[in-house]
Amino acid sequence: MITEEFEPVTDTVEEEASVEACTKCTACNTVCPVARSTDIFRGPKALGPDMERFRSPQEAAVTPGLDLCSGCKLCEVTCPSQVSIQEYIRRAQNKGAREKGRTLRDWLLGHTRLLGRFGSLTAPLANFGNSNPLFRLLMERFVGIHRRRPLPKYQWLTFERWFKRHARPVKPRRKVAYFYGCWVNYNDRRLGERAVAVLERNGIEVVVPRQQCCGIPAVVNSNMDLARRYGHENVRHLTPIAEEMDIVASSTSCGLMLKHDYGHLLDIPDSERLGAKTYDIMEYLWMLHEAGELDLNFETVPMRLLYHAPCHLKSHGIGYPAMRLLRLIPGVKLEEVDEGCCGISGTFGVKVEKYDLSMKIGSRLFEAVKAAGSDQVLADCETCRMQVEHGAGATSAHPIEILARAYGHG
Amino acid sequence: MKTDVAVIGSGLAALAAARTVQQSGRRVVLVWPGLSSLYFVFATVDVLGYPTATAADPIDDPAKGLAQLIAKQPGHPYARAGMKAVEDGTSLMLEWFKDAGLAWEGSLNRNFLLPTATGAPKPSCLAPASMTAGDLRRPEPIVLCGFVGYQDFAPELAASNLKQQWKAGEVSAVRVTAPGYGPDRLFTSIDLARSFEDATFRDAVAGQLRDKLIGDGARVGMPGVLGLTTPNETFAAFQRSVGHPVFEIPTIPPSVIALRLFDRLRKHLQEGGIEIIWAAPAHAADVTDGRCRSILLKAAGHELPVEAASYVLALEDWVDGALRAGVHTVRDPFFHQPVAWHKVPTDRAAESLFASQPFEQIGYALTDRLQPADENGKPLARNVFIAGGAMAGYDPSGTKSRGGMAIATGYRAAKEALAA
Repeated sequence: MITEEFEPVTDTVEEEASVEACTKCTACNTVCPVARSTDIFRGPKALGPDMERFRSPQEAAVTPGLDLCSGCKLCEVTCPSQVSIQEYIRRAQNKGAREKGRTLRDWLLGHTRLLGRFGSLTAPLANFGNSNPLFRLLMERFVGIHRRRPLPKYQWLTFERWFKRHARPVKPRRKVAYFYGCWVNYNDRRLGERAVAVLERNGIEVVVPRQQCCGIPAVVNSNMDLARRYGHENVRHLTPIAEEMDIVASSTSCGLMLKHDYGHLLDIPDSERLGAKTYDIMEYLWMLHEAGELDLNFETVPMRLLYHAPCHLKSHGIGYPAMRLLRLIPGVKLEEVDEGCCGISGTFGVKVEKYDLSMKIGSRLFEAVKAAGSDQVLADCETCRMQVEHGAGATSAHPIEILARAYGHG
Repeated sequence: MKTDVAVIGSGLAALAAARTVQQSGRRVVLVWPGLSSLYFVFATVDVLGYPTATAADPIDDPAKGLAQLIAKQPGHPYARAGMKAVEDGTSLMLEWFKDAGLAWEGSLNRNFLLPTATGAPKPSCLAPASMTAGDLRRPEPIVLCGFVGYQDFAPELAASNLKQQWKAGEVSAVRVTAPGYGPDRLFTSIDLARSFEDATFRDAVAGQLRDKLIGDGARVGMPGVLGLTTPNETFAAFQRSVGHPVFEIPTIPPSVIALRLFDRLRKHLQEGGIEIIWAAPAHAADVTDGRCRSILLKAAGHELPVEAASYVLALEDWVDGALRAGVHTVRDPFFHQPVAWHKVPTDRAAESLFASQPFEQIGYALTDRLQPADENGKPLARNVFIAGGAMAGYDPSGTKSRGGMAIATGYRAAKEALAA
């Protein structure tokens, strides 16, 4: 007889929201950029919580259209019941890749750091090859990288090596550790330099601890074992540092891996302590501002800027700190271009069979960017910036580069 | 994250509250735990459709019905919000819809009687202009049109039900094909709505309808799929092409009509510089000395405190986590206060799906200023105000009053939050 108050679960949000929490409301399908752009993709509801009921360790995970999920996670952002919709799809994709075997292309794309090391060591040659039409044709035929997708330029001097020679500020107020990520290290050292300059201008000493690739390229290329290995490595290197100082990341998706996916998707033990001390760099600077510690002596930056919020930034659940910060700068005219996913989703839009879909997903954004005619498009995520430059012919920047400019670092 | 007023929720109550604060010139932040009922359920704003959940006759004049309800039930959330909040909130929203480019019609003095997707007449106060030609107070014959292979609207079912409940005119049903949709394709309202923005598709559908020999003076009822991002233009072009008055009927979730409203209002707020923190469910209120200091959000990796001078808690429904049910106790998600206790959990639901449901009545007890109250009627926090579906003591589905309640309480709660 149940008369005593007995409560097994009272607070479903704090519990892991399982497939049972899905109310079939279909909100996820309405925001899915892939479902919007192709009728062969059955949508996150069907491929996530619906199919999950039929997946068992013994059965094959492969469902038609499964690999078309680009991993933007907008479905999870939209879900009123906090179901980890995309994670179900991700795990099934990973299981499918284990069963079917992985292509050389996907193996390579998962090894961003390896590519980065090779690319930066051979920078002039790699950049020549990546922009040579004949080489790109061969790459498309034999590797499966679409020939029209511009590939990032590699730079010989990495951020790591630049930072070793960089003079530290005297008498800092605080210290912060910088998770720069593969992009800054191998492709865009200048972004890292500006991030360091902005932090130092605010009396913060930047520490660059030993670090591995965050693992997101491996996750999205269905190589979760590799991502887990990277994650373990980062947790081992960074957790002791996180005991002493906060960690900031300038790449949206790297930050999300450290904050959330290590524990949630990759089940890496003890990663919560690292996640709790990790901040997106714009989020961190906004906190500094609210604490009254942000240097507001900005120079006027007379620019018309368009802000594109990356999908993974929405998953951070922190709003758009970049927009709040940039509105503090005199002269800046800032608008949001609210046209949803850009379509590239990391390495998704690089692949020969997904390039056209990726461009179709982004087409609304490209049109809006072209129509707005601003000086620059801002996005916190590097692959969003690549896609906007390619699709809309615009120039782009990370929002922190505007802050750096306002501090006099052109 | 610091602001003047924090509004938690993404439904009509939260949007009404956010708009009210925006117009006062104070800072407001919206916090969304995913997208709520407005996104996929709402299509019309129902202020008061029936005097009680079991009444048979619909209300003609919602303002008059409300005055009677308020006089009879002083504890009803409508009575606490007050008639002025209903009136001011409704004009605020109608003006906002207009500013945002949404074509809506209606007034507090007259309900439309609009057919649902299953052919039931439903009293609604405000409705998109694309729906109002379906008003059953008019006698013109109705032809309901569905699509072959489209599962979310069965015109035959709707027509046969409507025939039994509406005697003023003729009803019939037709089906047309969706051009370019193969027989194996599963498709939803969203797919059709996107296709309707394409003139070729639209005209091909209209052509099939013209061939169906629809009688002079008849109006054509379509599922609510006539455009998604450019509904005004899409609707006008389609109606012209059909050559008869056309009206939309909202479909099962995801309702395209609701989605248009929601997406437009969201963008309009963002264009006005209002920040929305998405994907962060609020899971606790930090209350000291009777004041809420912050609401804690579950952001990725950490807790994000939102510190505001006052708060409007406007989660609409059970679906978006306004209340959480254990086996016996129902609690609220902020103060974790028990708001209902049932010895047997099934006591929360009536056996018939169509009966007035006891769970609809569960929610916060309120003070006269819409603050959540403890068992002694004292506020749980002086600077917190409740709006929308989480209020105790009314049945929004049974009385067809969800939208009106959301607007009135969202408006009033925001006014209180600004004064607090």
